[in-house]
Amino acid sequence: MGKQMLISISREFGSEGHTIARKVAADLGITLYDRNILEAIAEEKETKVEKLEQFDEVPRNMMLTRSVGEHTSSMEDHLVNMQFEFLQRKADSGESFVVVGRCAETALKGRDGLIKIFILGDKEEKHQHIKEYFHISDGEATAKIIRHDARRKLYHNRYSEFKWGDSRGYDLCINSSRLGVDKTVKIIEEYIKERM
Amino acid sequence: MMAQILAIVIFVAMFILIVMDKIERQVITLVCGLFTLVFVFGLGMHSMEAVWKTLNIGTIFKPEFWYAAGAAEKSSAGINWATIIFIAGMMVMVEGMAKAGFFQWLCMKLARLVNYKPIPLFIAFMLMSAGLSMFIDSITVILFLAAVTVELSKLLKIDPVPMILAEIFCANLGGSATMCGDPPNIIIGTSLGYAFSDFLTNTGLIAGISLIVVVVYFYLACRKELLQESGQAVDLEALPDPAEAIQDKKSFAISCVIFAAAVVMLITHAQTGLTVAFIGAVIALITLITAGKGAVQLLKKVDYKTLLFFIGLFVVVGGLEETGTLELIADFIGKISGGNLKMMVAIILWISAIASAFVDNIPFAATMIPVIKSLSAATGANLETLAWALSMGTDIGGSATPIGASANVVGTSVAAKNGHPIGWGKYCKLAAPATIIVVTLSMILIFVRYC
Repeated sequence: MGKQMLISISREFGSEGHTIARKVAADLGITLYDRNILEAIAEEKETKVEKLEQFDEVPRNMMLTRSVGEHTSSMEDHLVNMQFEFLQRKADSGESFVVVGRCAETALKGRDGLIKIFILGDKEEKHQHIKEYFHISDGEATAKIIRHDARRKLYHNRYSEFKWGDSRGYDLCINSSRLGVDKTVKIIEEYIKERM
Repeated sequence: MMAQILAIVIFVAMFILIVMDKIERQVITLVCGLFTLVFVFGLGMHSMEAVWKTLNIGTIFKPEFWYAAGAAEKSSAGINWATIIFIAGMMVMVEGMAKAGFFQWLCMKLARLVNYKPIPLFIAFMLMSAGLSMFIDSITVILFLAAVTVELSKLLKIDPVPMILAEIFCANLGGSATMCGDPPNIIIGTSLGYAFSDFLTNTGLIAGISLIVVVVYFYLACRKELLQESGQAVDLEALPDPAEAIQDKKSFAISCVIFAAAVVMLITHAQTGLTVAFIGAVIALITLITAGKGAVQLLKKVDYKTLLFFIGLFVVVGGLEETGTLELIADFIGKISGGNLKMMVAIILWISAIASAFVDNIPFAATMIPVIKSLSAATGANLETLAWALSMGTDIGGSATPIGASANVVGTSVAAKNGHPIGWGKYCKLAAPATIIVVTLSMILIFVRYC
């Protein structure tokens, strides 16, 4: 059995980070964890995934939530804790996997096989990709990118120890607009191989 | 004027920081309390007397602090040590009861008594929640009740969320019935010199009538959900035996006796002259002595952070009181009500309820007590009537939203940890109408009985 690989991929909206993560996981033959974590948690807790989805990767609203000792009314905090516990359990079991977002680098902090990657993209490229992918207008694409990135940033900064997109917090930051998806995947895989 | 501005700035900053929830709340109140002592009393008022009056340490050494024959004790301005000692004592007792398995046993026993049928269980747990919260803090009641509800719901294949929301509401309602049920009531009682029986015969009566209405409301609101699910087959063999919850029979028996003694002492304290500070101290002492080697563990589990939060809070409110700021608020309420008692009751009740739905009701109640005292002195309005309006407003208002009261946070947290997230929409849809109903009912009952 090879060395455990725990690949955490954070991404800008429209940088095709999710597609890249999926290809890396497929090439390496390891599991990809994204929204499917929610399905696993829902099954484990004997609840419906729809109940959890609305709180996924959403930052806690400080004005509308309150804590009492170790208890909190923030459903976002609870879901983050559940996802962290899920990832930690999987890592403890020796499984190798790729995780998209969800502050996985913080959940898996200090583990040997952890590789932290951030994927960014050029504004024009991201804009074009979002427009084509969702079949929306220029204005809608711009608004969508701004909205999603702001939410990811808030979410990440709330639950991580370093700022979202700050290169000092990652092992590898790569602009997917420069080489395209496939070559970016290749570079990432080469980096992973060097590290293993 | 300078001292007044400083006191207001510190108080507002404290409230904002508590709402933001980024720094632990006891740190906020203690630092703001220190600022009050230094800037308001020191730099603003140049008054060491105000500092001593607010710290209020001398009161603990007075015999009437522990024994007040003939009259209920009345705490002077500043830190309300009677509240702090009583809450600390009850915390020790509750820890002892929890360790012995009392709460789990009670929940499981009651569930078995109603044959695990969803609707009787739903009503029984609501009544138990209200009943226990009359004597035990609602956080502890909900912590255990919600956990058992989640466990039972898995076995009975029902959705625990409506039950948990109803239990939370009833815990807050039960807390309003007695002097020791909810922290605002303890502060109101010790500050204004009311006895346990005063609360029981006034807010207790309102809470009792409201409880009947609330049970009917929640039954009507949730019956479809519960009836739909109650048809599913349940393996009764898989349900746990209540006796399994008891960790140690001797500790269990002792904790039951101590709890009964506490209830008797509280109910009779106006007659015996024993103050709530005395009762709290004695109950804690007996619990610790009977715990033997486990005493240290019990002491470690006491929520010191909450006690420190209270100390800082009383100092900050003392700043507003000593500078006469709260009298201005009282004058304002007096003016807009035109001296009409009904209007004053309505203003205090609804403002307290609305404010408590969004901010911690403890600082709000602590701030409002000197206000209603001044209002009563200035307008001749009956202080007791205003106190019951304040008590019902702060205790019930907190039920409307997920952040209004500590029990709400704990209940929703237990549900969420078990995969049942409860957002604002879901929570308010069920709890906000119930809150409006009970606050309106309280207003009508106060009008009819006292105005």
